[in-house]
Amino acid sequence: MATGCAWFLVLGSVFLCNLMKILLPSISSFLTKMVQKDAEQESEMRTEIQQMKKEQSSISMMDEFARYARLERKINKTTDKLKTHVQSRTAQQAKMKWVVNIVFYILQAALMVSLIWKYYADPVTVVPSKWIAPVERLVAFPTGVAGCGVGITCWLVVCNKVITLGLSAIS
Amino acid sequence: MEAAEEKTGSMSAAQLRAEKRRRKLLLNSEDRMNRIVGFAKNEPDHSAAALRPAEPRFHLDLDRSEPWSSPSPRPSPFLSEAPGVRSHTATPERRGSPLPDFGQPRRASLEGDVGGLRHRAKAERPSDEAGGSPRPGLHQYLSRFDDAMKLRSQLANEKPEQDGGSDVEEFDPFRVFRLVGSVLLAVFVRVFVCKYLSIFAPFLTLELAYMGLSKYFPKVEKKTKTTVLTAALLLSGIPAEVISRSMDTYRRMGDVFSDLCVYFFTFIISHEILTLFGSETP
Repeated sequence: MATGCAWFLVLGSVFLCNLMKILLPSISSFLTKMVQKDAEQESEMRTEIQQMKKEQSSISMMDEFARYARLERKINKTTDKLKTHVQSRTAQQAKMKWVVNIVFYILQAALMVSLIWKYYADPVTVVPSKWIAPVERLVAFPTGVAGCGVGITCWLVVCNKVITLGLSAIS
Repeated sequence: MEAAEEKTGSMSAAQLRAEKRRRKLLLNSEDRMNRIVGFAKNEPDHSAAALRPAEPRFHLDLDRSEPWSSPSPRPSPFLSEAPGVRSHTATPERRGSPLPDFGQPRRASLEGDVGGLRHRAKAERPSDEAGGSPRPGLHQYLSRFDDAMKLRSQLANEKPEQDGGSDVEEFDPFRVFRLVGSVLLAVFVRVFVCKYLSIFAPFLTLELAYMGLSKYFPKVEKKTKTTVLTAALLLSGIPAEVISRSMDTYRRMGDVFSDLCVYFFTFIISHEILTLFGSETP
């Protein structure tokens, strides 16, 4: 027979999975920030470039050409270094996002499979078959006992749809 | 004296150079005029044009209705203008892309374009035969290649938008009304009706009622996303109208399915709550 709170357990699991899916980008960016140790270097380089540009704008190219050209070279060199840094950071972010997504989907699949494994023979909730005629067999799948109640697969699909709608309405 | 001679010599050298330049310009003037008057070459198409070195010989771009040298008009299948009328203004993507993505006015122009496509394709064959165009298959291939490139760029543009808000459901007033109605009906059915008949009978009645009520709600034009599937279907020759209608039907089925899920979910939750309170009350 159905466990008392089986329907609630399935509902809670589906809610958690959908919530995690929405939070995945934040999680991946948080993990990226944790992994990256030289994030400050980038802001330092940006500040340095800004200061050099400010200095360069204050000097006249005609009067102090050598100094101007030297500053220009420094700016170019620092800009190239910053570009390389940003590229590597972006690549690392993309890689982290990919890893986080893969891990999440594996965990989600494992959770769903374990729920189905646990409740495949028992209905998550019991309702009289007369109420859900004429699709009682479909609703009760895969319990195999028509008139027993709601099967795990039907309840999973329904919960997933409703929670997706609810979360998209909220967000 | 010598300075005057040098000056005369340099002037004549300058004059000679000017003369040479003038002759070169005059030689190319006809080609230049053809280029200016014959078609409007779009700048974004340059990158696509770079991939097609043979294109200038046969089919330059979709705005051009006449090729460089061929006397007979060779219009693009995606132009809705009559043959011989040149358009300098917009690419087919802007004027009326075959892609079902810009709402009804564009869909109308899209369907017109695709109708023009068929009409043009039929008209092109006799005109090609009459005009003696040597490679109609190649023209068709090149025009399809152009369309594929445009679809690809459109998909690339739409991809960042989709990544940001993938699978986000849109809640227009009618949709909210449907969902709220389903919830209320489920509670009502659980409390009063379920002992007498199946719970799906009232749901079907509700859906029939929604079909009738839909015309009283403001219609919200939903932007059809260009996906790889729609692009592939378009390129395989399926009319855009068929694709639009199928997607519309699919969307309606999705709405009914959402209503059913919300209804069933609310029914089960109400049942569990009533069972819980029923078991708790002495």
